[in-house]
Amino acid sequence: MFLMNDENKKRSYKAQKVIDRLGKKLNRQMVGSLAACVHCGMCTDSCHYVLANPGDPTYAPAYKADKIRKIFKRHYDWTGSVLPSWVGAKSVFTDEELEELKDTAFGKCTNCRRCTINCPMGVDFATFNRMTRGLLVHVGIMPEGVEYVSKEQWEIGNQMGVLKEQYLETLEWQEEELQGEVNNPKAKIPIDKMNANIVYTINPREIKHDPRSILDAAKIFYAAKENWTMPSEGWDMTNFGLFSGDDDLGGAVAGRVYEKVEELKGKKLVMSECGHGYRSTRCEGPNWAKKDIKFEAESSVITMLNYIKEGKIHVDKSKNDSSYTFHDSCNNARSCGLTEEPRELLNYVVGDFREMYPNRAENFCCTGGGGAMSMSEYRPRRLQSAIVKAKQLEATGTKYVVTSCHNCVDGLNDVIKHYNLDMKVTQLVNLVSNALVI
Amino acid sequence: MSNLLHFSEHTLQEIALVFMATIYFLRVRWLLKWTAAKERQPATGMGDTNPKKGSRYSLANILMPWVMESTRTKPLMYLQFVLFHLGVVASIGLSFIIPYAPGLLKSTTVQGILQFCIGAAFVVGIMRIIRRVSNVYVRAISSPDDYFSLILLTAWFGFAFYSVPNDASQGEGILLTYFFVTAFFLMYVPFSKISHYLYYPMTRHYLGKTLGRRGVFPLRRSPAYGNK
Repeated sequence: MFLMNDENKKRSYKAQKVIDRLGKKLNRQMVGSLAACVHCGMCTDSCHYVLANPGDPTYAPAYKADKIRKIFKRHYDWTGSVLPSWVGAKSVFTDEELEELKDTAFGKCTNCRRCTINCPMGVDFATFNRMTRGLLVHVGIMPEGVEYVSKEQWEIGNQMGVLKEQYLETLEWQEEELQGEVNNPKAKIPIDKMNANIVYTINPREIKHDPRSILDAAKIFYAAKENWTMPSEGWDMTNFGLFSGDDDLGGAVAGRVYEKVEELKGKKLVMSECGHGYRSTRCEGPNWAKKDIKFEAESSVITMLNYIKEGKIHVDKSKNDSSYTFHDSCNNARSCGLTEEPRELLNYVVGDFREMYPNRAENFCCTGGGGAMSMSEYRPRRLQSAIVKAKQLEATGTKYVVTSCHNCVDGLNDVIKHYNLDMKVTQLVNLVSNALVI
Repeated sequence: MSNLLHFSEHTLQEIALVFMATIYFLRVRWLLKWTAAKERQPATGMGDTNPKKGSRYSLANILMPWVMESTRTKPLMYLQFVLFHLGVVASIGLSFIIPYAPGLLKSTTVQGILQFCIGAAFVVGIMRIIRRVSNVYVRAISSPDDYFSLILLTAWFGFAFYSVPNDASQGEGILLTYFFVTAFFLMYVPFSKISHYLYYPMTRHYLGKTLGRRGVFPLRRSPAYGNK
């Protein structure tokens, strides 16, 4: 009964491809995580999907992880080859089964890594869930939104399909706004300036929906008298490869940014506030691109904080006179350790800051992470799971939630709207700019 | 002592241990054949941590129930974990004490300590079996090996508990059963999830190394967070 003879069962082309590619993607860290789970269930309550769907085990991290673990055990772990059913090993044969895997990997997990830090064994489920996504993407099985955005980033160079003319026009427009705000017609947003101290890269969402944040950043650089520039190419520091699990896309996108910084001979790459962009460009990008970067790279949060500490800019916190809480982006907090700097900065620019619980690396996902905002088919599921975040936000009693992530801005706005919360979302760059004393 | 009991205490255990060591050797070799992924990124996060510190913190995680929400908010589960694993150590220790240092068991204190550890582990084993069957989340992820390993260990604790006095005067049945089950347990372990302790150092080291490099480990919590 436990000796499963499935060798002769017919397997679809895509299923075979997934199995073959799995072998190529495995490394020691991944194998350790796949082999080590003892099914203790301690990770269960760490997931916001579980908390919002009590009694449904299909959302439990270990259950979701087992979907790919079963295939690994069946084909790459010899204990699973000897007695497959006994140890829960199972192969995959049809495209329908791959569709089910897609539903789990993309639709029931935001790769927030909260279960990882709550696993006694140190199983990094988020990392191999990303790998699972990559396996599916490789055979063309993915949500429509993922396919669309990936295509945009491959072909146009940024994930929102912003054309170069549109980008440059927006910068020109923001430059005019800057000149008006600082009352100086010589104030500039420099493009492709050589040997600048800072090469500033952004999220294409800022061009499309939030140009004010570009203006705010420019105002801060102006006030700090910074020698900075924005690149005409390779300006998108976001990276859909992180969400789709496609390391080739990840490497190509991060590589474009690195190459441009090198071409401009920039001293430091600064990324605007974006959790997944920061993680992709600062942390994962060198691994995907297989490139050791020779320049410094930091989040604009750190840049702004240093400006204040070094006396390059002066701020008046009374200008931000409402009440504020801070939402830690999963990618910033759980994957890049960016938890203290935003709080330090907040305390310089706001008077009434109230901590959200849990926070830092234990914070809950905004529910829009892992590319969830682009997967409209899972929206109802996402918003249902957002009850956890809504309760967290409401408990702070603040009027504003501050975050250092454009994706979280959209995710939190959805939560606030769906649960009728009396709150607004803002970013640190907006608060610092508003508090500037020029 | 009968020849059978002598065989079960010595030769059988030695065969089982050699078998287990051989399979473990193959298992470790299999694990190490996978290349470890290289981290190219420059260190990130707060400057007071690094890969080594992260790894140490991660490996010591087992001794710090307060650092993970999952253990902090379920102290009873952590207590169960401690008792269960102390029982495993005591039961394995017993299989060496009886044949090689039986004099130790003349002490009622030693007997008491062993029986407490093993007895508590037996009770935890029963609780875990009930949880595995009744908890919808745990049941959904359980394979036959999960059930069998747990039942095997719990039964083994039961036999170990009664073997602690090492008294064959009323019959050798319980000691024979304990040693035969121990031998089976040793040979089964490498194929089952019970061998998780083999992976623990590896998974925790690599996770800690990565998250230490990124300034995530040691985890930081708000000073006002308290016991929430």
